Amino acid sequence: MSSFFIPVLFIIVFIYGIVKKVKPYDAFTDGAKGAIPFVTTLFPFLVSIFVLTELFDKSGLSDILVNFLAPFFNFFGVPKELCKLLLIKPFSGSGSLAVVSDIYNIYGVDSYLSRCASVIYGSSETVFYIAAVYFAKAKTKKLLTPIIISLVASFFSSVFACFICLIL
Amino acid sequence: MNLVFTLVFLISIIFLCFISPDTVLSAMLTGGEKALTLSLQVVTVYAVWLGVFEIMDRSGLSQKIAKWLKPFIRFLFGDVSKEANEYMTLNISANLLGMSGGTTPMGIKSVLALENDKNSYYAIVMFFVINATSVQLIPSSILALRTSMGSINPSDIILPTILATLLSTIIGILLVKIFVRKK
Repeated sequence: MSSFFIPVLFIIVFIYGIVKKVKPYDAFTDGAKGAIPFVTTLFPFLVSIFVLTELFDKSGLSDILVNFLAPFFNFFGVPKELCKLLLIKPFSGSGSLAVVSDIYNIYGVDSYLSRCASVIYGSSETVFYIAAVYFAKAKTKKLLTPIIISLVASFFSSVFACFICLIL
Repeated sequence: MNLVFTLVFLISIIFLCFISPDTVLSAMLTGGEKALTLSLQVVTVYAVWLGVFEIMDRSGLSQKIAKWLKPFIRFLFGDVSKEANEYMTLNISANLLGMSGGTTPMGIKSVLALENDKNSYYAIVMFFVINATSVQLIPSSILALRTSMGSINPSDIILPTILATLLSTIIGILLVKIFVRKK
């Protein structure tokens, strides 16, 4: 069902464009032109966030933080097996997908832990990545408040995820 | 950002000095490599979406969608310029529908457009929080992974995910409304 969605959307866009007398080829190429400059401005920010994530992981700092925060997460009903996911998700989408697939392999894809992990992954975002990328060109640099708000909101939705997977 | 970056950076390197000093540089280079791989992946995705968005823009379709969603945008962000309104509409729609490649270019344009408004900080924070708490309705990458791992019922996580996503976004919006002052 959802696989039809994007093709149908494109058909609508093109037909609407033709009706409104837009030249689709010219418009498409003009739009696509923007992609490389876009990524060029993003690149330095991507490098810094990825270098940081790599160091964070390899230094064992992430494991220490996981062990340190586990009792706190546990208190709110988040199983300790999922702490690593909670910690990695704000930094890296691909990294946290790897953690999810580890959990699937260890506990079985339809287990409670795996379902929780799926919901946590699906309902949260890579907060630091968004901060780096969305504000790459921006003048606003005061991002601490929105980052903390987002992390708090994601934390409570993860707690909720662990709870709702018990019922649904 | 500078503080977080410096702290994590220094602590990690000091730690690695004790465990294995050789991995410092190699870990950093691995990070750089991953950034390059990702850039190459996203440049194609952006090209396609920016092309489609350009058609939507020239035909007036995106302005039309922006007009429909204006009350909603106004409720969340207050008064914003027409340009910001349009970009944010496209970004939030792309987010809702899980078109992950479409969200970023429109997100960056939204932030730039918002900076020109007078009420900018509040709107920018709100916009960031909405993006960072995920408003995606169908978690497509997780569904694909579950299917490939042989789950009996891969889609049984959709409803819990939608509920959790809604909750995180609502908490985020409330926190912004409480803690960030509108000018």
